[in-house]
Amino acid sequence: MAVRRLQTRLALLYVALFGAVITLVSAAVLAAVAANAEAVSRATLVSSGRVFDRLWEAQAERLRSGAALLSRDFGFRQALATRDAATIGSSIENLRRRLELDVALVLSPEGELLSAASPQAARIRDLIAPKLADETPFQGVVVVGGEVFEVFPAPVLAPDLTGWLVFAERLDRTQMRSLESLSPLPLRASISYRDGTGGWRMSSQGAERGSGRVSDDLWRQLDRAASGSVVARADGAFVLATPLPAVTGQSIELLLAYPYAAALAPFRWLLAAVVAVGVAGLALVVGGSWAIARGVTRPIRAMTEAAARLQDGESARVEVAGDDEVAQLGLTFNAMADAVADRERRIQQAALTDQETGLPNRLALEQTVARFAADNAAGAPLFAAAFSITRFAQLRGAIGYDLSAQLVRALGEDLRAERPDWAIARISGESLGAVFRARSLETACAHVELERQRMERGHALGEHLVDVKVLAGVSAAEGAGEPDLIRRADTALDRAREDGTALAVFDAEAYAAALARLSLMPELRNAIAGLEASGALALAHQPKLDARTGRICGVECLIRWPHPTRGFVPPDRFVPLAEETGDIRTLTEWVLTRALHDQATLAEAGWRLPMSVNLSGRLVGDAAFTDRLLELAAGAVGPLCLEITETAVIREADAALASIRRLTAAGLAVSIDDYGSGLSSLAYLKQIPADELKLDRSLITGLTASGREALLLRSTVDLAHGLGMKVTAEGVEDATTASVLTALGCDQLQGWFVSKPLFLPDLIGFLRAAADGPQEARRA
Amino acid sequence: MRGLVIIAMATASTGAAHAADLSVVVRTAKGAPVANAVVLVTPAGGGAAPARYDAPLRVSQADLQFDPFVLIVPLGAEVAFPNQDHVRHHVYSFSPAKSFELKLYGHGAAPTVRFDKPGVVALGCNIHDRMTAFLRVTDAPYAARTDASGRAILSGLPAGAATVTLWHPYLKAKGGELTERVTAPASGRFEKAYTVALRTPAMRLNGY
Repeated sequence: MAVRRLQTRLALLYVALFGAVITLVSAAVLAAVAANAEAVSRATLVSSGRVFDRLWEAQAERLRSGAALLSRDFGFRQALATRDAATIGSSIENLRRRLELDVALVLSPEGELLSAASPQAARIRDLIAPKLADETPFQGVVVVGGEVFEVFPAPVLAPDLTGWLVFAERLDRTQMRSLESLSPLPLRASISYRDGTGGWRMSSQGAERGSGRVSDDLWRQLDRAASGSVVARADGAFVLATPLPAVTGQSIELLLAYPYAAALAPFRWLLAAVVAVGVAGLALVVGGSWAIARGVTRPIRAMTEAAARLQDGESARVEVAGDDEVAQLGLTFNAMADAVADRERRIQQAALTDQETGLPNRLALEQTVARFAADNAAGAPLFAAAFSITRFAQLRGAIGYDLSAQLVRALGEDLRAERPDWAIARISGESLGAVFRARSLETACAHVELERQRMERGHALGEHLVDVKVLAGVSAAEGAGEPDLIRRADTALDRAREDGTALAVFDAEAYAAALARLSLMPELRNAIAGLEASGALALAHQPKLDARTGRICGVECLIRWPHPTRGFVPPDRFVPLAEETGDIRTLTEWVLTRALHDQATLAEAGWRLPMSVNLSGRLVGDAAFTDRLLELAAGAVGPLCLEITETAVIREADAALASIRRLTAAGLAVSIDDYGSGLSSLAYLKQIPADELKLDRSLITGLTASGREALLLRSTVDLAHGLGMKVTAEGVEDATTASVLTALGCDQLQGWFVSKPLFLPDLIGFLRAAADGPQEARRA
Repeated sequence: MRGLVIIAMATASTGAAHAADLSVVVRTAKGAPVANAVVLVTPAGGGAAPARYDAPLRVSQADLQFDPFVLIVPLGAEVAFPNQDHVRHHVYSFSPAKSFELKLYGHGAAPTVRFDKPGVVALGCNIHDRMTAFLRVTDAPYAARTDASGRAILSGLPAGAATVTLWHPYLKAKGGELTERVTAPASGRFEKAYTVALRTPAMRLNGY
């Protein structure tokens, strides 16, 4: 894990360095003390061992002198020389008791056992006999049955060698204890020997009372040692192993164990002190390092935090103490922070000011709204007003940019002078905005109206005296709508403009309806796009009846949008919107494609029907779309008619007429739709190479055979016929109307009287029924 | 005085028709001469009457030591033990050949003991352990003791087979002596050299 904080890194570095030094020093001292302790312990042990040697010698001397005493006794010598077994036996038993010996025996010069006072005698004789041949007196230890005996053979001279008197002392636990008790050190004495197989064993006497637990480790050290006394470390003790003079050459060692705990006891406080000093030093280093690192990094950290504050746009200065490099850095940082703040202030000022008039701009006013909204203490509701100079573009054209800007500034400054507690801004070229508090909407409106009227008074601009007309919109802050407050005032202003009133108040419901309409478009786009899969959009066909033959002579294709949540959305809700947003292209394309598809289906079923498709006024003059249209229409299996409103042609006459000519040239029929509902220009009517004129339903409503409507219709029908067009009446709902229209000369009838719009399967059913049954029966 | 004896013996032997002299040398393996070794020769055909090997038959005590250290005693002879020290001695022997005790006697006294059994008699003093001496009681016709140079000469041996026995108190051998058969020449001197091993007596090592 990488350590990222400088403070931690510094602290860790110091701790690592000093800690290593302290640890090394402590370790060295510890090692020295420990080595010294061990050396002292070993020396103490060895000197104790020497004391043991002397004690051993003293004991040996006791036995030896006892043996010598008896061996020189004249009676004993006589008894031995004369092989007086009974006397020999009784005398050595006597001496054995007197000297508290374990074993006493007498051997002939040749080593035969003459008398024995213990069961081990025979075995001891076997072991020492080879040594006796030399007649050299000796002493030593032997192992018999797991027990170690020290033997003291003394020659009996009468005066020549007559036999051997041998004393043997068992080196048992009592002996070991008496040895232990003679030392000032808390030593444990025991004896080990190498048995016949070469392995080490504890003497059975020494092994009792747990003093003989010796590990193989000690044996290995003894095996390695060349000869003489060895100080080994084993089983938690220093062990002095002193070889005992074994009679048979067998390795027999006296072990003096000096437990570490006892040996090192005098050094323990010293070791503890070294460890304590080391730990204390380490703690000091850790604490000190942390503090130093902290001291070094604190200004850096403070600067980092200040830089973060600076980034957030807050004021950021660091405290500077001293005059070192870090302090210099702090001073530089402060200078930079000040410069940044200064620049930011200037930028902000520029951003919140309208450059042309010096008035606050829309952004500034929005910030004011936020400030006002946050400042709830004022209590009174918040309002926004938008004032707009009408025909500002024309005015600017007349008096120039500078003066028009001067006009706006004058209006703003006057308003500010009149209403010092209002926040004023230029919110668009011709508009001023104001945010203020008022007791109620009525009061607010009264204030705004007053100011609006004041603005309409004449203004002197240079040599010009300018009269302006000003509209105003008012909006009230309600709930959490503050961010939109100014926009709503703007919207209200638009309302005033549309409605032709001087002042309008923002109407939330009307706005919501407009919003809802807008939100329809994305859904329509989805419906068009996902159309093939979902079939959300559908095409209906309304049949047209030939008034003379009584046959179905065509259908008008009408789009239907059954919306999953809104229900049936009428085309006049979404088609105008689609025209606004441009989606009318894809929509029309879809209708056309579908109409051609249905026409093909009908053709397969046996009906070759002309299909009429509405072409939006927006698309009539669109050359690119006309290309696309012709491309699609090329695949038609029957006659295709495009219904166009007259208004659409009038708006962009040249382009529209050019497109229409291309369509008719390609063999497509053109129909003038909704004739009589809007503007009608006979000039254009004659230019349009249409095949059909569709009378708007408004001309047919309330039609009677003899009224003025009939008169108008007759002349219209005549006009159309005169221009070579068929006349189709729309909205025919009953037989009476149908007969009147027929009488007036209408060629085709369309409406509920003929049929409502039908989806394809129903249309096929309808066509089948119409073909089978007499037309008169249906009309009845 | 010893020189006189030898001259006497030599004179005695010249009388024999056929006689040979046996010269014996005893040394240790290192070549050191071994003194106080006793050489006994018994001719196969029997010899003359028991000879007088050594004279006088006396083991005196002087300077807390026996003198001589080894004495050849003809079987049945009587040996005197004169005390020339100013302290008293208690001479004894537990040897099977002759067990006796001469209890504490002072300066000037010279008790005698007759040795009528062949063998080795180890002498000691009960008061002074350091003192020791050996008697070789024998009926061999010819006997001699090696001198400081390890030599002994036995003169006038009859020609023919004979048994030679070499004995020393500390000789390392079975029974403490070496025996072998030799054939003496009709005349002249023949030599016999022995290389022996001696044990170190315990008392000397122990400082008795």
